[in-house]
Amino acid sequence: MSDDQRPSLNFDEIRELVRIASEADITELEVEAGHLRVAIRKAPRGSAPPPTPVNPPAATSTPPAATSTPGAPAPEAHSPHWVPVTAPMVGTFYRAPGPDQPPFVQEGDRVEAGQTLCIIEAMKMFNEIPAEVSGRVVRVLAEDGAPVEYGQPLFLIDPQG
Amino acid sequence: MFRKVLVANRGEIAVRVIRACRELGIRTVAVYSEADRDSLHVRLADEAFCIGPPPASESYLNVPNILSTAELLGVDAIHPGYGFLSEDPRFAEICRDARIAFIGPPPEAIEAMGNKARAREIAQRAGVPVVPGSPGPVRNEREAYQIADRIGYPLLVKASAGGGGRGMRVVHNREDLARALQAAQREAEAAFGSGELYLEKYLEEPRHVEVQVLADSRGNAIHLGDRECSIQRRHQKLLEEAPAPGLSPRLRAQLYRAALRLVRTIGYVNAGTVEFLVDRQDNFYFLEMNTRIQVEHPVTEAITGLDLVAEQIRIAAGERLRFSQREVEFRGHALECRINAEDPARDFRPSPGRVVSFVPPGGPGVRVDTHVYAGYTIPPYYDSLVAKVVAWGRDRTEAIARMERALREFEITGIRTTLPLHRAILDNAFFRRGEVYTNFVQRRVDLGQLGRWSS
Repeated sequence: MSDDQRPSLNFDEIRELVRIASEADITELEVEAGHLRVAIRKAPRGSAPPPTPVNPPAATSTPPAATSTPGAPAPEAHSPHWVPVTAPMVGTFYRAPGPDQPPFVQEGDRVEAGQTLCIIEAMKMFNEIPAEVSGRVVRVLAEDGAPVEYGQPLFLIDPQG
Repeated sequence: MFRKVLVANRGEIAVRVIRACRELGIRTVAVYSEADRDSLHVRLADEAFCIGPPPASESYLNVPNILSTAELLGVDAIHPGYGFLSEDPRFAEICRDARIAFIGPPPEAIEAMGNKARAREIAQRAGVPVVPGSPGPVRNEREAYQIADRIGYPLLVKASAGGGGRGMRVVHNREDLARALQAAQREAEAAFGSGELYLEKYLEEPRHVEVQVLADSRGNAIHLGDRECSIQRRHQKLLEEAPAPGLSPRLRAQLYRAALRLVRTIGYVNAGTVEFLVDRQDNFYFLEMNTRIQVEHPVTEAITGLDLVAEQIRIAAGERLRFSQREVEFRGHALECRINAEDPARDFRPSPGRVVSFVPPGGPGVRVDTHVYAGYTIPPYYDSLVAKVVAWGRDRTEAIARMERALREFEITGIRTTLPLHRAILDNAFFRRGEVYTNFVQRRVDLGQLGRWSS
């Protein structure tokens, strides 16, 4: 439906990037596609809430991993090439294969493409969600045991990490 | 009563259901596809959950994601609206298994009416007249010729699983029958996954008249009068009214009795619509039963003062009907115009896109049901309904005058709409006299001259 037939980003895709950027705990996101380059920079934290009118019942806790975690390597906050891993279905997000077991991955872990990152439980089925790219897990965005909607960003992976 | 209802739909009907829930003090969960993030139903609901990418098959028809959302957010009922999962007996059954109330009839009733050939058989058993035709699905070409010779030409070849005119062919003489059977079968297989066909006598200039029914789970069933839905284009309703103009009291009483007989025969529960064809000699024939809330329900609400969606919810919660047949009062006349995002100048091609300005009409006797607002982008993935304008008057003349006034006020820019077509219909002398039949638009409206109705 776009007037612009060139192979670049369309309005909806840009809006989707803005959404990912706002929901993910990052301050800047740059994407290049064809001749077009989009850079999204957010106001310092403490400003806007996520744009969707979603009120998940479990989303009452504090925001996910704080941006200014001491010791977090500073350059990462500006990496444009991080790849989001999004929920392919509606369900409950689990970071570990079972209760009392260690999580599949932690922030800072190196993962290979195909490696399980988490489980989404839907319709009493446990669906293992694999990494699509190899790299380093730089952010875990969803909380263990929380309901996640379709397309919700769960992790950010730095393929160059 | 329910505490939380999930609305498994989008667009104006999702907004409509959320409104009914709110008035009943029920919390709502909207589900939406990635294309509907900015839709009004997402904004109005208490909670909203994304269930999939834009194609309906992966979102609004995605049963696992819808049911997961229902369970995760703790809803106790699902309202399916119309279209999508509303007439899928398997979905109603899955809800029952998951102990979530389905706001609609039991799966058995959906199943019984969903197969057109079976619905015909049941109607006949209930003593409801059907259009002369094959007693059930036709098994082969030879049988088709035998039946065709008996009922005569012109006749209709129809798909058992059909709807919306797909898998349907008019056959004018014996020579064309074989070809029509093959074409209809191909089309039906592609569209519905079943090539089962049946034959029906083709009625000339029939009217489409339907009866709204309500039945509770305690065995009480009443009708809420009739609606005229003859104004159609390619079997899609465009303009509906209640009551149907010019029906004799005798015919009206016969239609109501027939509809309620069918309802009792199949043990129907919740709101439903029994559709009939009426010919020029006042013969009527059962067409089909829609086992859901219908797009045109507001015209019935306008003349009865009832909230049909709220009644659906109460019935699904196990409540008894709050009024008897005698307590239902009919007052005045109502029209509904379906305004679609289609371009009348280009053969009604869909016209999605960004709505620049949107100024809906108001004032006495006018109601607008819509999910659209200025700045909203109509996605190309779903149906083209933009708004339903409903006008009520003490009589048909006043209702028409109000509708004309309302359509003149209605300003929509940025997209093309069917507003000009509705203006042309309302101005038509035959329409104003109540002379309508299912091919009215084809016969009485010059679609090439709609330009003069553009503003």
